[in-house]
Amino acid sequence: MYMEKQPIVELRQLSKTIGKKKIIDNLNLQLYPGQITGFLGPNGAGKTTTIRMMSGLMKPTSGEVIVEGQTVTEHFEETMSKVGVIVENPEMYKYMSGWKNLLHFARMNKSITKERITEVVEQVGMQNRIHEKVSKYSLGMRQRLGLAQALLHRPKFLILDEPTNGLDPAGIREFRSYLRKIADEDGVSVFVSSHLLSEIELMCDRIAIIQNGQLIDIREMNQKEEAHYYIEAQPAEQARELLAAQGLTLEDSGAGLVAKVEQERIPGLVQMMVEQNMQVFAVQPFRKTLEDQFLEMTGGGQIAESHKK
Amino acid sequence: MLNLIRNEWMKLWSKKATWIMTLLLVVFLVGIAGVTKWVESSMQPPEGNPTWEQNLKENQMMLEQQLASPGLDDEQKEQVEEELAITEYRLKNDFAPLDPKGTESYLLDSHLMMSFITLFVVIVAAGIVASEFSQGTIKMLLSRPVKRWKILTSKFAATILYAVLLTLVTFLTTVIVSYLFFDTTGGGLLDFNDGNVVEVSYWGRVLTLYGLQFIGVCIYATFAFMIGSVFRSSSLAIGLSIFLLFMGPNVVYFLSRYEISKYILFAHTDLTGHITGQLLVSGITMPFSIAVLAVYVLVFLIVSYWSFVKRDVTA
Repeated sequence: MYMEKQPIVELRQLSKTIGKKKIIDNLNLQLYPGQITGFLGPNGAGKTTTIRMMSGLMKPTSGEVIVEGQTVTEHFEETMSKVGVIVENPEMYKYMSGWKNLLHFARMNKSITKERITEVVEQVGMQNRIHEKVSKYSLGMRQRLGLAQALLHRPKFLILDEPTNGLDPAGIREFRSYLRKIADEDGVSVFVSSHLLSEIELMCDRIAIIQNGQLIDIREMNQKEEAHYYIEAQPAEQARELLAAQGLTLEDSGAGLVAKVEQERIPGLVQMMVEQNMQVFAVQPFRKTLEDQFLEMTGGGQIAESHKK
Repeated sequence: MLNLIRNEWMKLWSKKATWIMTLLLVVFLVGIAGVTKWVESSMQPPEGNPTWEQNLKENQMMLEQQLASPGLDDEQKEQVEEELAITEYRLKNDFAPLDPKGTESYLLDSHLMMSFITLFVVIVAAGIVASEFSQGTIKMLLSRPVKRWKILTSKFAATILYAVLLTLVTFLTTVIVSYLFFDTTGGGLLDFNDGNVVEVSYWGRVLTLYGLQFIGVCIYATFAFMIGSVFRSSSLAIGLSIFLLFMGPNVVYFLSRYEISKYILFAHTDLTGHITGQLLVSGITMPFSIAVLAVYVLVFLIVSYWSFVKRDVTA
């Protein structure tokens, strides 16, 4: 369904060279409304540099960041008014209250009313402590304030760099469901960079993987065609023969087997095993964790080696 | 733009340091007036308590003797002649000079207190850009739908506004304490212009001196502002600016024999020298000073804007 829509943000042949080193090399990526895209990569792969170019903090050496058809370099104010950013730890003005911080950022956009600030404060659940100085906030509170400032102007596109640093598990869960909500209900496109793979796995519809400044893979999560099932039955040899006879590719996994098989065929297979008096202990969907896939793709998650010319 | 300036103003006054500096300024100004009063009242009045006419007549005789002595060069001779003409004018027209112990003299010299402001404004100017980088808030500030040059302009405007505010605070505090602590004595100012002695408006002179000092403050502020936006470190910017603030005039003095000293910034930062006649380098005129300052300020601003607008945020 996403593919029918126009992308909100497009990275087109984006490259960044600092000194002689190519940090980002010809990146192409489209981000769609209502979709949460994860941005994964080992340390030093160029995640932060990419995000800084998307948020107007760095200028691309070549290529473009395009927001709804306009390039960030040429139409800075128009494009940035559609983008909300939380870059790494949200550094706020510690000597001011949370409220004054929000007021400060609100004034930098057109027509954000005091009512809107109050509304966002309530959304992130900070109404009781918003008039305290930021220096007294816990890290979790600062994260909430960071989210609040990014949402003030109702952005269509939200960039988050390592957003869950410092949040406790409950906070992370709440944060995740909040992102899901604004993506589903308001059609906001969210771009989340992280190296917490499990985090990305739970949150994202799609992931883009970057290594040594190059995009090495973009994939949809929850891909049906790649379904695997873990099957454990006794006697094991008989089970293996039966499954192999059905033309399934098998892999050993602990006490059982992992078979590449579509969901529709599972009841049939179970029935066959039962009819042959096998004892079936477990039949469950098997998914390689993102971590396995990630390590496979990036070759063990090495720290980026200097890029070969 | 107005909103951006309001932001900078809000951030400025949310810092304790700003309040402390402003209060410290008032405390200094009152304190110095108090000490001056105390020192003066503990001094013995000169014997016989002469009137201003007696003093001036004595002075007149001294000047005439000086003029007659052979060792004077043209410049010195001119100075003595001017002073003599003014003295004669006063005696002839019964026009009293300012009493050195009175309110008027104190207020006239009070423009020198503006050097405190230079220090405080430099601290603000150096930090207003650099502190955003050191706190990491620059990433928040520059990922907004506002072009960078506008943000920098609002910061410069806030700095100048702070300088204006401190100047007003200094001026008003000084006016109040000089009337409270000292006696008004009357008298007036005279100047020598194109061969004639002319009367000078007292308040006009006071305001001119303050105005010229204010320009000096702004020059130092612009310099500190540039260092702050180029090096992105407030401690370096404050340190370097204050170092130059103290060292600059010495360097000019050291080089004053050479032509080049005319083009050094610090030969011109104190424009009041054109009025009081105490110039670091001789042979420069007010328009020349203003031209040199304008070139420097332009360069400082170009460097600041270039550095702030063009460079990537990597911190």
